[in-house]
Amino acid sequence: MTVTDLKTSFSSYFNQTSSPAALAVFRMMFGVLMMISMLRFWFKDWIFQLYIEPKHHFTFYGFEWIKPLGPYTYLLFIIAILSALLICIGLFYRGASILFFLSFTYIELMDKTTYLNHYYFISLLSFLLIFLPANAYFSVDAWRKPQINSDKIPSWCTDSIRLLVVILYFYAGLAKLNSDWLFHALPMKIWLPAKNDIPFIGGLFNELWVAYLFSWIGCLYDLSIAFLLLYKPTRKLAFLSVVTFHLLTSLLFPIGMFPYIMIGTALIFFSTGFHQAFIRKIGAILTVSHSFLTPVRTYSFSKIQQNLVTVGLLIFFSFQLLFPFRYLLYPGELFWTEEGYRFSWRVMLMEKMGAASFIIKDEMGKIIEVDNKDFLTPQQEKMMATQPDMILQYAHILKEHYEKAGFENPQIYADTYVSLNGRIGKALIDPTVDLSKEKESFRPKHWILTFQDEIKGL
Amino acid sequence: MKNIKTQILFLLLATLVSCVDSTENISQPDVSTDRKEMLTFWVEELILPSYAEFDKDLQAMLITADDFTTNPTEASLSAFRTSWTEAYISWQNVEMYEVGPAEKYTLRSFFNIYPADVAGIQNNITSGTANLNLPPAYAQQGFPALDFLLNGVAAQEENILAFYLDSEKGAQRLSYIKVLVSRMDTLLDQVISEWKGTAKDDFINRTGLDIGSSTASLVNAYVLYYERHVRSGKFGIPSGATIASAGTPNPDKVEAYYKKDISGKLAKTAQLAFSNFFNGKANGKQGPSLKSYLNSIGAKDPSTGKLLSEYINEQFSLIDNLVEALSDDYYYQIETDNEAMVKVYQEMQKAVRILKVDMTSAMSITITYTDNDGD
Repeated sequence: MTVTDLKTSFSSYFNQTSSPAALAVFRMMFGVLMMISMLRFWFKDWIFQLYIEPKHHFTFYGFEWIKPLGPYTYLLFIIAILSALLICIGLFYRGASILFFLSFTYIELMDKTTYLNHYYFISLLSFLLIFLPANAYFSVDAWRKPQINSDKIPSWCTDSIRLLVVILYFYAGLAKLNSDWLFHALPMKIWLPAKNDIPFIGGLFNELWVAYLFSWIGCLYDLSIAFLLLYKPTRKLAFLSVVTFHLLTSLLFPIGMFPYIMIGTALIFFSTGFHQAFIRKIGAILTVSHSFLTPVRTYSFSKIQQNLVTVGLLIFFSFQLLFPFRYLLYPGELFWTEEGYRFSWRVMLMEKMGAASFIIKDEMGKIIEVDNKDFLTPQQEKMMATQPDMILQYAHILKEHYEKAGFENPQIYADTYVSLNGRIGKALIDPTVDLSKEKESFRPKHWILTFQDEIKGL
Repeated sequence: MKNIKTQILFLLLATLVSCVDSTENISQPDVSTDRKEMLTFWVEELILPSYAEFDKDLQAMLITADDFTTNPTEASLSAFRTSWTEAYISWQNVEMYEVGPAEKYTLRSFFNIYPADVAGIQNNITSGTANLNLPPAYAQQGFPALDFLLNGVAAQEENILAFYLDSEKGAQRLSYIKVLVSRMDTLLDQVISEWKGTAKDDFINRTGLDIGSSTASLVNAYVLYYERHVRSGKFGIPSGATIASAGTPNPDKVEAYYKKDISGKLAKTAQLAFSNFFNGKANGKQGPSLKSYLNSIGAKDPSTGKLLSEYINEQFSLIDNLVEALSDDYYYQIETDNEAMVKVYQEMQKAVRILKVDMTSAMSITITYTDNDGD
């Protein structure tokens, strides 16, 4: 294929149009699930426990200015909930999607210890939604302004969401291609027996072969499911397995709303007919006119918009494809150092537990051991104990605190002990390195001790 | 198309089968992953019989205390001391079970917080109206307070008896002893009778591993006990090995400081009870335990293939040997060879980490007690 051919097929793809029904259903589903997620978070009092109660927060490198806003943190959630509602009904859609992306992403960047891959996924989805005409059909906006009501939108709009889902699943599957997961059934072998008192099926979780089966099925599922959803003959069966798989994981693991979000998102792969029928049903309940549901108009971007969006999408998806592989630039075992672990679709991939205590020395000969609970919540302490970048951040929190408390140039040493996938615990951080002198950066952290084993694979 | 799929599936299955480490075998005959069985054994064969045994020794102490307080003589004092020693040793077998009713009544706080608060005890004797339920009164009661009252009120043996025969204050002093021993009896009664009531079934039926489940609660209590009350309490604080004590030994903070020559026996008993619980051994019985559970879920280091329970028992026997070599009098031990005490602390710290990190990780239990050095 010549360059010209490629260009032609590329631009012809970008000129293809299709029904907006799938995107409209996705918009509504997304809005509803986001409202439920945020309200659930609120009612469980997590806003207070995770963002207001802790004395210190683990910010993201480069985003240190993003911190909880005290009591105004609730306002952030109110903004996110209201904008999710507006997204759902498609009113003031563009503004609402920008507001949702900003408020939700702000919330997720406030504290690293609450990081979850599916929050990242939601941030990315809501970012995409800003640029998609998800309100061009079956929305309050389209009802208010009939001139935007369309029965055709560019195909890439719906496809871009599909592509993001494809990447998520496929990369989650790639991450499982390692010797611990496939050949030792780790961490499944550890996690499943903990659930052996579930009625009826509990006994199975004691069986080693079940742990292997779960590992292999989980891996094959992640690698293939998005493609099976894309391919029409296998779609229905694939969706059924999406529902089964995610409900099973929600039964076994404390993963909150994630299974429901993934089940809802998988609907994006369904045909126009499916989504049209769904919209007609809701339309009947709302008694909207037939003409509202059958506009004859093609939503189009201006030439400039089209070009900007094309370039933007290319950058966005190239980033999505490359960023998870940044771990290759670091020496050492990824699971151990976690340099390049986040934002890479590594979901429920390892059992890691640790303990970390800190010793402060100063020039005047003072020496004390820190009581972590004076600074961190149990949840923060647990997350910090196994993740080197958080250990460093915490060391700097301690440095600042003890300087104020009258320590002369305090030196901070970490005494760590971490167990990874059942390996007997070892020190994670070099106990002789004064962490107060070390700086966060994207460079490899020389003070992480070498992992004394090998996990083969990606 | 179908054919290719079948072939791929077959290939994958073949790879799977060939890659499964054939030496791995989860089901061994004498082990079980049934947590209900384990919880039942714990409560019926370990916890309750240990409490019954302790109760027997406490009742014996009550009788001698009664003799002494009604008729303080050299003989009744000596008998009281002997039974106090026996009961204190027996206590070491139950102190770790701070779960269920014992947790509810915070039994340990009223039985064994040391060093004894001597000034507080003297105040209580004078005032005669102390509220012993409040945290400041923890160190004014239980075995440590009796240790002071039986062995520490005077330097000379005959002066101790004289302390209680004092025409002016003797009666008040004896009545404080009565208050303390009857209080211990009441508290233990409450715990035992609640265990025998609904607490037992409740404990057995919470079979999960989430926060609040029986296994998780007990493992939390078990590890906390070892970390704070064995590692730090019996060794770290008196020897000055904890960083908080900055290397300064505090021999006056040993357990049974006034009696002195039993601190070693107390610690050895505690260490043995602790490792026996891990191995499911007590009162001549052997049954489902943390060890058998870990073995049955296949908890082993994937790089060495060694069982986690072996790591733990090796560390326990290393500690046993070190503890065995110590004097029975830890005050004397610290004064003469504190290094040996510090060494025990260090090895116990390693055991704490294996239990707190490796064991809980293997079992999918969350440690919910916050680490508190408090020393």
